[in-house]
Amino acid sequence: MKADLTTHIKSLTLKNPITVASGTFGTTDEYSGYVDPKKLGAIITKTITVKPRAGNPMPRICETSAGMLNAIGLQNKGLEDFLEHKIPYFKKLGVPLIVSIAGETTAEFTELAKAFEAHRDVVSALEINLSCPNVEGGGVNFMKKQERILEAVKSVREGTGLLTFAKLSPELGDVSAIAGTILKQGIDGLSLINTLRGMSVDIRSRRSKLAKDFGGLSGPAIKPVALRYVYQLKKEFGVPVIASGGISNVKDALEFLIVGADLLAVGTANFVEPGATQAIIDGLAAFCRKEGLRNIGGLRGSYKSAEEKVSGCKL
Amino acid sequence: MSHSKGSDEILTILANGKINEKYYKLIFSSPKLSRGVVPGQFLHMKITQGNDPYLRRPFSYYRVTGQKVEVLYEVLGYGTQVLCQKKKGEKLKAMGPLGKGFSAKIDKKKRILVAGGVGVPPLVFLAEKYPTEYLLIGTKSKAELMPRRELKRAKAKVLYSTEDGSFGTKGRVTLLLEKILADQDPDEFFIQTCGPKPMMQAVITLARKYGVEGEASWDESMACGVGACLGCMVETVAGRVRACVEGPVIPFKDLVIP
Repeated sequence: MKADLTTHIKSLTLKNPITVASGTFGTTDEYSGYVDPKKLGAIITKTITVKPRAGNPMPRICETSAGMLNAIGLQNKGLEDFLEHKIPYFKKLGVPLIVSIAGETTAEFTELAKAFEAHRDVVSALEINLSCPNVEGGGVNFMKKQERILEAVKSVREGTGLLTFAKLSPELGDVSAIAGTILKQGIDGLSLINTLRGMSVDIRSRRSKLAKDFGGLSGPAIKPVALRYVYQLKKEFGVPVIASGGISNVKDALEFLIVGADLLAVGTANFVEPGATQAIIDGLAAFCRKEGLRNIGGLRGSYKSAEEKVSGCKL
Repeated sequence: MSHSKGSDEILTILANGKINEKYYKLIFSSPKLSRGVVPGQFLHMKITQGNDPYLRRPFSYYRVTGQKVEVLYEVLGYGTQVLCQKKKGEKLKAMGPLGKGFSAKIDKKKRILVAGGVGVPPLVFLAEKYPTEYLLIGTKSKAELMPRRELKRAKAKVLYSTEDGSFGTKGRVTLLLEKILADQDPDEFFIQTCGPKPMMQAVITLARKYGVEGEASWDESMACGVGACLGCMVETVAGRVRACVEGPVIPFKDLVIP
């Protein structure tokens, strides 16, 4: 029996639910020698900003227990370069493309949305990065004022009819309340979660191991937190959810599917095992066969809540 | 946009052990990881499967003989503490060869290699492969020197400096370099350096003073090793470049020294 991994998200049909988290798969073909990008269900780009960004000084990364901190700072060559040099690459590649965008102002969010609206032949969806911990304008500090989130999503919605996900982080505050507000603005789905701010200290120099005090924590260390948010928000809103946060192997991917994730974004694991996405795709098919499932949809949202079971007994 | 790709494979350790007070040597054999290696390129190793340690670690190639690859390393942190416990027959995962190595052709100039600390092994490799006028090695003391047998294949005059004067010239390695540049015609030379950043900065400062060109292996903390994460950027006159792809070996004239 061949297991069908096809994943439907509103108007989008993907051959499997595996994608790569923003900023973890390079700009174009960095991983092409190690993994065939054509096998992915979708590709999420590194966050694109209107103007080029040089990012933060070094050191930008440091290892932590079962994870890493990063303070890259949204380094990218800007919108114009992306449209000119990267869009043709993705057009040729033919894998559904989800472009991650971040603006420093409302006007920039509109500009980005409009720019990608004009490339609907290549771009399948947008992910609005509302929760980068490493930048000022448009980053998690800026977006803590929740009216700014509202303005950002309104601007994107006005600029494009593309399928749009909002990438949120617990750092923003009450994720459930924020999700409720932005979904009312016509945002199609949620991307959960971004990195969590953390720090690491060099005990001899008494300084941060990064060039900034804080960085974004990613990797297996944050997986339980990500899983909880995906479960809770999927249950509360029922909208499409892109899950990310420590997904490293097929077991992780299955956990996120079981709690209801639609798309699974492998992030930091790409840095450690470039073949992680392919291993997960193969593993999902093998698991479906073993469980006698014809398609992956049978797993999605199959979680049996401990609390519901208890209340069921009471009745 | 496209660049050369390395290979990622599981390999079996042929030997791994201490060769003196300072260095450990790891040996394995691999057709792919040994192919077309340029001194200065690196292997990106996953030391254990699982999350501890989590990230891969970059190690420069020390010597490649046929399919046999040698890596010379110091135990400097948690990753190398775990690595040095690995025994013959155990497995490792490694990607390589990665990055841009040292230039083989240096336009009829004479090669001076300036090495310190973990920068010694790749420059010994370079001196074994290509004719080299001088290999200058600087350490804190005699105890940290590489065993002499490891240097017998180097095609170079090897000069030492130790900060405590316990071997060779007393002082920093740049003393040796400045003496050569001051006594001879600096225009004849090309410098290639690898070692602690303050040492390389001093080397570049001297090179600029004498108008000598050269290359430095300038790395930064690295996650992916293939140019995806943008963790290991190096400041150059043309903007920030990735140490793992456009580097780690970068011409002096391009480096913006902090």
